[in-house]
Amino acid sequence: MARYGIVVDLNRCTGCMTCVVACKEENFTLPGVWWNRVFEVEGESLDRIIYFRYACMHCDNPPCVEACPEHAINKRPDGIVLIDHDKCQGHAECAKACPYGVIGINPDQKYFPGEKLPLEENLDPHRQHPPGKASMCTLCVHRIEEGREPACVAGCPSKAMIFGDLDELDSPVGEKLWASRQVLVSKGTNPKVSYIFPPNSFKYVEERSKKEGTS
Amino acid sequence: MAGKWDLRGDTPVSGNPKRTSLAQKENDEVGYTFCDGCNEVPFCGIKFYKKGNVVTRIESWPGFPAAPICSKAYATLQRLYHPKRLRFPMKRTNPKGAPDPGYERISWDEAYDMIVGHLNRIKEAYGPHAAFFYVGDPKEPRAAVQRLAAVYGSVNYGCESSTACRRGAQLAEMLTYGFPTMGDLPAEETRVMLIWGTNLAYSGSPFMCHGHFMDAKERGVKFIVVDPRNTPTAGTLAAIHLQPRPATTAALAAGMMHVIFKENLEDKEFCEKWIHGIDELKSYVSEFPPERVEKITWVPAKKIIDAARLYATHGPGGFKTGAQGTTHDLNATNNHRGILLLPAICGYIDVPGGILKPTEPLEEMAPWFDGPPKFSMRDKMTEMKGHRLDREVFPVWAEIFWEVQTNHLVEWIKEGKIKAFLGWGFNTMIWPQSHEYQQAIAGLEFSMAVDYFYRPWTHHYIDLVLPAAMCYERLAPFAFFKRQIFGRTPVKPLGECKEDWKIALDIGVRLGYKDLFFNGDVEAACNDILGMWGLSYEDLRKNQEQGITVPPKGPEKYRKYETGEMRPDGKPGFMTPSGKIEALSTRLEKHGYPALPEYKEPMATSKEYPLILISGSRIPYITHSKWREDSPWLLELQREPLLTINPEDAKKRGIYAGDDVILKTAWGQIRVKAKPTIMVPPGIVGIMHGWAKANVNELIPRQFDPISGFPPFKEVVCEVTKEVAK
Repeated sequence: MARYGIVVDLNRCTGCMTCVVACKEENFTLPGVWWNRVFEVEGESLDRIIYFRYACMHCDNPPCVEACPEHAINKRPDGIVLIDHDKCQGHAECAKACPYGVIGINPDQKYFPGEKLPLEENLDPHRQHPPGKASMCTLCVHRIEEGREPACVAGCPSKAMIFGDLDELDSPVGEKLWASRQVLVSKGTNPKVSYIFPPNSFKYVEERSKKEGTS
Repeated sequence: MAGKWDLRGDTPVSGNPKRTSLAQKENDEVGYTFCDGCNEVPFCGIKFYKKGNVVTRIESWPGFPAAPICSKAYATLQRLYHPKRLRFPMKRTNPKGAPDPGYERISWDEAYDMIVGHLNRIKEAYGPHAAFFYVGDPKEPRAAVQRLAAVYGSVNYGCESSTACRRGAQLAEMLTYGFPTMGDLPAEETRVMLIWGTNLAYSGSPFMCHGHFMDAKERGVKFIVVDPRNTPTAGTLAAIHLQPRPATTAALAAGMMHVIFKENLEDKEFCEKWIHGIDELKSYVSEFPPERVEKITWVPAKKIIDAARLYATHGPGGFKTGAQGTTHDLNATNNHRGILLLPAICGYIDVPGGILKPTEPLEEMAPWFDGPPKFSMRDKMTEMKGHRLDREVFPVWAEIFWEVQTNHLVEWIKEGKIKAFLGWGFNTMIWPQSHEYQQAIAGLEFSMAVDYFYRPWTHHYIDLVLPAAMCYERLAPFAFFKRQIFGRTPVKPLGECKEDWKIALDIGVRLGYKDLFFNGDVEAACNDILGMWGLSYEDLRKNQEQGITVPPKGPEKYRKYETGEMRPDGKPGFMTPSGKIEALSTRLEKHGYPALPEYKEPMATSKEYPLILISGSRIPYITHSKWREDSPWLLELQREPLLTINPEDAKKRGIYAGDDVILKTAWGQIRVKAKPTIMVPPGIVGIMHGWAKANVNELIPRQFDPISGFPPFKEVVCEVTKEVAK
């Protein structure tokens, strides 16, 4: 069984936001909901701005799964962590438990209130987002099941993201994995998204991640 | 809802998912188009999926030469179905100057009758040159609108490139090299690259190509990046990053050339044989030792020396310049000419891995940027040259380009030389002191605009607004890259929208030129061009995804200046008056301008205005004034105009992130939000243009580089103060 994850090479990320909007286009998430974000960090020992993509880490030990009173969150054998909207009651315990701060609750809002756009007829299931339910990156499981990479990875113009089975050591992702590092390791979640850091940048990315988790 | 796929994941997925095309679903049809999100012309390829006439999903067009797509392209899907899209022609019902123009829906027949009525009347009363034709953003209709202007009989056609964009740098290239080039992607042979004044990671050129540059870096190519700002391009690529004071380009280039000549690192044979004015150039740059250049440009002398050595000794070297990053100042042309001479003295012109002139561009074609000469009726435009409005004020420009330099529009309207203005995608915020252009245009006898949305800062001042079909709904133009040609498969436009080309052709037909405008048939117009290579649009449809390559006669050739293949007359040399690369420009000399790439001191900072303002730098998800309300996905990324200011400068002024600040120059002021960041070095602030609620171009004077006519968007001095809450 695969164990899917992403290595993000921050030497290549430019903050162009393509992955962010590719995710919007793919998943039609609601206003204010960003499954996939890009943060900028600056710091005294950095001579440039570091941009980093930030989303659900699809942890090996996901605290959100334990935290949900409805047992609505599940980690599949291939490592993808998913929310079951049929069970979710919107308690937001998962959001509180997530050390990375990447789970939100769908708002009751639309980009064009009161309008029914032609392309909103018969939306694919992955583009439907019931208000009041917890919401986070699905690693584009619907694409993975069709044999395709997540939209953010496929869309990255700088080829900064490598997706694949982390256990396949001679694959493109396996080859980069050794050079990468996880953030917030102390939380014990063993995230399956890790980063290759430019010199001196780790502590700033770590700090920024911590801030997200506690905000 | 995560119900449809397997939540438990019991069905194992084998192997690693690939970067493959979207799976086609039942009832989905596939279509193809080109993005118009950043005003390239027809550009990055989009493959889309549709249900009936409705586009539902998009992705990069696999194998397309301009790919992958960026955030703006993904957002074209949301823009396409935006409820506020213009869907019908509208005319104003209240007089100009009224607070509300009172736009009302009219039929296309009424709109066309209005246009044709005014055009005929104006031709009768003032002559055809009193009608000005203009194409802004997107560039796609240029060829059709040029043809319309030519057949109607007006030589006065201009575009955004001939206002403030690509043409300024191109003017320098034509004067210096005799051919246009912004450089190429690093080739296999390239060992060093000079990236000057462009942030490739955000503004592509030729497309979202940053991945190619990163690959080149990883295979050992050395990058010198010149940019005052601390861009991600510099951050991810640069071995050496030079951060000059804005508008001091010619001094920095002279300093680097000084080092190269002093240390005998130039290509002597090339310099002697192929550079006109090499001795004058040497003598000029001898006055620019690195220590002096450091004082002028703020770039440390050691870095200047290191960069010069690296570029000259680590060849072959390429370069990449921006469309306009180095030409928005009052010495634009000669500043850019300075850059161009660096690879020239190193002998990197038209050599493998260097700066190339394509061996065999598609016959009879010019980039859509220019329009195919025959279709766009270049001969007719050339015949009418004597009537050009820019001939006296910008004579060098008028000699080289067929588009009129538009910055003197205000004067020409005031003097009664222009009575009508027909604009496709036109935007008054492009001009410095935009309000002067708004007022001038409001004074015309007739004006119209074709656009996607109602844009008050332009449409408030005109008579008629026409709804344009968007990229998924357009057939024309087709795309070509080198010798590869691609077509598209549009869906039916929403409402009564029509594509730009259709509108231009229809006006031509109604003016009485049915045959010349293909009876209004866009595909027939495309076929008129495609016929030059024995092709038709139907052939493009049959080869939809892979396109059609018109085979070249032979292989790529280099050093074509030696063989006569650079010039149409077959003589060896370059396509300049002297037949050489011109360090000393014979054309500039003839018209009495400084003929060497001379440095001119920019506007001086003062106690009142201690900072330098850079506007026009790109944010990756905005182009010009587009993409704010056009796509909420993008607007959510940045809702407000943000002023980037160095943390040191911010601290001195008690400014923190998110504070309201006043940005002020001698010509105006705007209120914006502050973003302290090392993106800009101390002494420089930066802001994106095109925010209607804080139009930075109102802060720029109507002063122009005398050669190119370009405004100083990256030179003006300013001050930033914290706004105190009342």
